Amino acid sequence: MNQSPSAGTMQAMRGEPPKVAVRVRDVTMDFGGGALAVDRASFDLETGRFLTILGPSGSGKTTLLRMIAGFQKPTSGAITINGRAVDATPPHRRSVGMVFQRLALFPHMTAAENVAFPLKMRRFNPKTIPGRVREFLDLVKLGDYGDRRINELSGGQQQRVAIARALVFEPELLLLDEPLAALDRKLREEMQLEFRRIQHELGVTTINVTHDQREALVVSDDIIVMDGGKIQQHAQPVDLYRRPDNPFVAGFLGVSTFVDGEATSDGLRAGGLTLRGTHATDISEGAPARGAIRAEQIRIDADPQALAGCDTAVPGKIHDVIFEGERLLYVAALDGLPGVEFRIYHHDPDAFDLYDIGAPVMIGWNARDMKIFKSVA
Amino acid sequence: MISPTQRILFWSIVWFCIVILSVPTLIVVGASVTAGNIISFPPDGFSLKWYGEIALARDLRQAFGRSIIVSLICLAVSVPVGTLAGLALTRYRLRFANALQVYLLLPFTIPLIGSGIGMMLVFGSWRILGSVWPVGVALAVINIPFIIWSVSSSAASLDGDLELAAANCGAGRVETFFHVTLPGVMPGVITGGLLMFVLAMTEFLVSLLLTDARTVTLPVQIYNNIRSIITPDLAAVSSVFVVIALLAVWLLDRLVGLEIFLKSK
Repeated sequence: MNQSPSAGTMQAMRGEPPKVAVRVRDVTMDFGGGALAVDRASFDLETGRFLTILGPSGSGKTTLLRMIAGFQKPTSGAITINGRAVDATPPHRRSVGMVFQRLALFPHMTAAENVAFPLKMRRFNPKTIPGRVREFLDLVKLGDYGDRRINELSGGQQQRVAIARALVFEPELLLLDEPLAALDRKLREEMQLEFRRIQHELGVTTINVTHDQREALVVSDDIIVMDGGKIQQHAQPVDLYRRPDNPFVAGFLGVSTFVDGEATSDGLRAGGLTLRGTHATDISEGAPARGAIRAEQIRIDADPQALAGCDTAVPGKIHDVIFEGERLLYVAALDGLPGVEFRIYHHDPDAFDLYDIGAPVMIGWNARDMKIFKSVA
Repeated sequence: MISPTQRILFWSIVWFCIVILSVPTLIVVGASVTAGNIISFPPDGFSLKWYGEIALARDLRQAFGRSIIVSLICLAVSVPVGTLAGLALTRYRLRFANALQVYLLLPFTIPLIGSGIGMMLVFGSWRILGSVWPVGVALAVINIPFIIWSVSSSAASLDGDLELAAANCGAGRVETFFHVTLPGVMPGVITGGLLMFVLAMTEFLVSLLLTDARTVTLPVQIYNNIRSIITPDLAAVSSVFVVIALLAVWLLDRLVGLEIFLKSK
């Protein structure tokens, strides 16, 4: 009843054209009360790929995931899994495994019983169940913990049981509903890599939901950014980071500074300054525009000669210096634009006392790094 | 730090409470082992003869048997009803949930004498007053809030996603109920069930109104006996009640206390 776990990898090896595993078309969810929870979301996900839906809380990302799992019915639109429309399929008849935010492990069962549960419910041959449970507990490195009750396991071990339970019946699709949100940072980063490893090992198509931009960049093949129920951008991590489609995406990933002004042919005019940039969207000269630049793409130096290579170099003043361990964060404003505080990374923590608060410096960047967007009124 | 005076005060209060709560029980148990023929405390010598007496007394034995039957009927009615109602009130968003809750807790707000007379009238007009089983049903009705509360509190501590997780694992609605929801609230069902059993075993007022000479239950039988002559056998019967209650608590501890999942979360 289920496809082989490594179907995605196999296909890639045979050089067949990629197959669409999940197709979401104009899916809308209206809970009533004004704004739509999900507003005409559409995307395709190829077999074997790891997609992350990234967005702030209330962006509709979890609602979208729950509709794919079958827990909620879209108000309109269609969802297809491996070519079959699933709109009329109840959740227990979908071949979808899910890791829940609070894990939702069955507290009255042992780890092994939790993993065996989907196999029993899905009528696997009872003779094969113990072996398969064993295999998947080994996969998540919990081979010796099968007899433990859920509350006898640590947070990380519970995560692993939840992953094994979601994967043991070899679903066509794995859904992750922010399962890492509650973990401390170190464990979270360890589990991110673990998800990545298991996903590569099995080649199972995966949709992950998170508000953690770092997690999204680290684990995903593709990222969808959502806000206000709408898909803002769908791209691969590097493209998403380097070429955001709109100021929301530019601000949600990384640390960006925004400058409002009016568009020129090669940048932005604000506070009497002309700042060089590149148009990220089609925008006519003189139209209200918003420029966005990332903290690591701004250079700062007391010596104007050092910024000779920058397309834009403007004098400014340091407002604050924040020590972040592996780097410094300078907060500085341009002399003609005192209201806009630029956030600038400086990757030399030894130079903590390089510039004092109030010190005059040159601030510069290259035209390609400042993205100019049309202002949304 | 606790000063010596505080410590003395603390332990005085603790011992006062322990003594006040246990003295009636101790006196009854003590009086039941008397060797004499009148009920007295401290007992007049030691003997278990009154336990022998009650074991032989037909009226007490029959009343005890009826009480067991009444309690089992009460359980049979209240466990399914209370479990489902408790689950419905906590796990599902119901229309009129508040009104329903008030309605289900109504038996608490009506004085027992009121509901007793009400049920006497209804059962009388249905011509079922002479049987034992309506007493069990009546006790289920008046005590149902206990099991609803007990199941509700168990259900409220369950993760709301558990049933979705079961569906995701491939379980249909019925399988989800029996494999996930019901085991999840089992501590509440067991606690509520034992409570219902003990309450039904010992209920007096409503039973008094609903029973007659042929259907009298144990508490009512004891009351009838007190009215004629107070002998130590009544203390022995009361002691049996105490033992039943202790047994229920012990069972509760074994069944629910052992289930470590109560503490999970």
